[in-house]
Amino acid sequence: MTNNKELSRRDFLHSAGAISGISCLRIAAPALVSLTQAACSAKEQSAAFVTLGEAEAADFSAIAARIIPTTETPGATEAGVIYFIDRAFGEEESGSLNVARDGLDALNATLPDATRFADLDETMQDVLLKSIESDGFFNLLRTMTVFGFFAMSSYGGNKDHIGWDLIGFKGHHGAWEYPFGYYDAAVHGGSYDGE
Amino acid sequence: MANSAQFAQDKAVDFVIVGSGSAGGILARELSTAGFDLVVFEQGPYRRAADFTHDELAILFQEELLNGNPGSGQTFRDDPDKKAVMPEGDTPVRYAQTVGGSSVHFTANFWRFREIDFKERSLLGPISGTNFADWPISYEELEPYYTKVDWDIGISGAPGPFDSPRSRPFPMPPLPIKSSGVLLEKAAKKLGLHAQAEPHAILSQPHNGRPGCIKCGYCMFFGCEVNAKSSTLAAMIPLAEASGHCEIRAESAVFRVVTDAHGRASEVLYYDADGNERSQKARAVILSANGAETARLLLLSESAQFPDGLANSSGFVGRNLMFNSHSLSEAVFEHQLNDYKGAQVSRMVHDFYETDEKRGFYGGGGIDSRPLFSATPIFHAMMGMPPDVPSWGAKFKNEIAHNFTRQMAVLSGSTSLALDRNNITLDPESTDQWGRPAIRLTYRDHDDDLAVAKFLRDRCMELLDAAGAVKSWRMPIGPTNGGEHLLGTCRMGDDPSTSVVDRNHRSHDVANLFICDGSSFVTSGRGQPTMTIMALAFRTADKIKEAANALEI
Repeated sequence: MTNNKELSRRDFLHSAGAISGISCLRIAAPALVSLTQAACSAKEQSAAFVTLGEAEAADFSAIAARIIPTTETPGATEAGVIYFIDRAFGEEESGSLNVARDGLDALNATLPDATRFADLDETMQDVLLKSIESDGFFNLLRTMTVFGFFAMSSYGGNKDHIGWDLIGFKGHHGAWEYPFGYYDAAVHGGSYDGE
Repeated sequence: MANSAQFAQDKAVDFVIVGSGSAGGILARELSTAGFDLVVFEQGPYRRAADFTHDELAILFQEELLNGNPGSGQTFRDDPDKKAVMPEGDTPVRYAQTVGGSSVHFTANFWRFREIDFKERSLLGPISGTNFADWPISYEELEPYYTKVDWDIGISGAPGPFDSPRSRPFPMPPLPIKSSGVLLEKAAKKLGLHAQAEPHAILSQPHNGRPGCIKCGYCMFFGCEVNAKSSTLAAMIPLAEASGHCEIRAESAVFRVVTDAHGRASEVLYYDADGNERSQKARAVILSANGAETARLLLLSESAQFPDGLANSSGFVGRNLMFNSHSLSEAVFEHQLNDYKGAQVSRMVHDFYETDEKRGFYGGGGIDSRPLFSATPIFHAMMGMPPDVPSWGAKFKNEIAHNFTRQMAVLSGSTSLALDRNNITLDPESTDQWGRPAIRLTYRDHDDDLAVAKFLRDRCMELLDAAGAVKSWRMPIGPTNGGEHLLGTCRMGDDPSTSVVDRNHRSHDVANLFICDGSSFVTSGRGQPTMTIMALAFRTADKIKEAANALEI
């Protein structure tokens, strides 16, 4: 089956924009590098967050859990994405944390008194996120969630390589020998024991 | 480690080379081992193999090895009547700032140009509104230097059906075929096309004291941790330093080439690592700073004697910028390719390389298969998803998980035409982190560049479908607003009124100023320029040595 539909320019820019939306993190590259070891220990302690308050951390964590949900396989929650987010927001200096906090406040302001995003059931959470999915705030959280799920564990997320294991990426092994996959196995004469 | 030389700033060295990348690294080795004293300037730090990592977040998303906005201050516009602005997304002109330059982070696909690339204007006639021209040199003149790249830099490969003649075989066999290569080969056969092994600036076996590739898969944008990638950092600079005649001066950003009363280059001014202004005297200057930085430096070096910028009597400095057009289609297959392992590419198709006037537009290109986005997890999740998949939620997650090992791209690299309107100039307001006027990019694709990319994208789709893709889709084309291939901005030519350097890379206006890098290109080639940049550098070194020995510099 062929899907001849062209990925629209808008969709493409949308995803590229999500990355550029976080270009502020690029400025803070050295700071994020220094973050590495600290994040490890913070995560292991399951200790207090460095940057976020408990309530907002619960909300961001709930959003991340809808972006990469826990299904029959682990998701953002099990990968400890919130620890990556907490650290990254603490390190960068050009306003992402403010964007995130303002966005979260706006989101919670649509809810009845004292109710927060994290209190809603998953269906309601999805409805609410669907309504803001083209906003910069949502894109920031989406990008942070993907980063936290797949970046090296030393940044605080992707606990025990959960993200990499999910997609079959074994990049941390380093060196490889042929065959790499199903289609080159016949050429190289080796046996391929994957799918 | 070698005892690298250290030279006094107030005593003229034989050569200053600005830039330590594909061209600068080769010139450094060739001239220093011939006994000339030289200082190589590099804006970025001196990273070595042990400093390189597999950290996708840092390399791909925080641009650890790159020049990047906002620090570079670069601006972009698609129309010379508009004010250029600093884009929120990608930096317009992207290159590595590190010793070895972009040869450190390139993907290392290494085609030679073909005979026709050098004389296409004569074969096809003029193209109105463009600066389409023949090169002043031929493939035959460059061939010995392509061969020198093969052996001295270290290129793996095997001859293909369309290659121009070579005087010596590849020094080592190609990297073995991957699943993406098997699928491309199968599809090409079905369609009556010809898949051939991709040549690489990556060692398939030990060569010149360096180890063969360990197939870790971190080639594109990453530095090689084992020195199997044939960067000038791995292949040339250690030899230059060992000569005792070469000093690599890293974290040193040149901001002016100074000329004396006779109009000869006499010294360069630069900012050191602490931002202090310094100078280095030299008997001759070679610019190999890349197609954007070389042009900027010449424009920055304007003076009463050279009011439009150094070596710019033609007005061609910064003009005719070509990025190579690109296009791609993506597909998912039934079984796992695990194409994240090993170098990106293993097979390519060059059946559409030449211009075919029946198509109704100028240009051609090469096609290859590779994981592209699906080489690393974040890139795959952010850029590689099919258009019908939501950007979050359970379906998003399942699709990322299912596709990562089963996805590949078929990608084309193709021609760009040289135009006056596509250029590098100095931004009148924006500055970089050193305070130099920033690079301002003005660029709008020629219609033929977009047409050839679109034509090739359809061929990519046909190949994916012929390979048995379960699902395939096209990615959008242009408009181009930046790039990594920085070509044409100080073109070589015999006529001083329409070129910046002569056929031996000596500037027409300043007798002891040489320019050799992507800026020297007259046409863009078909998408893999670095092999030709390196061959030009070896040839330039020979021409400079000849001239120096004849006391003609």
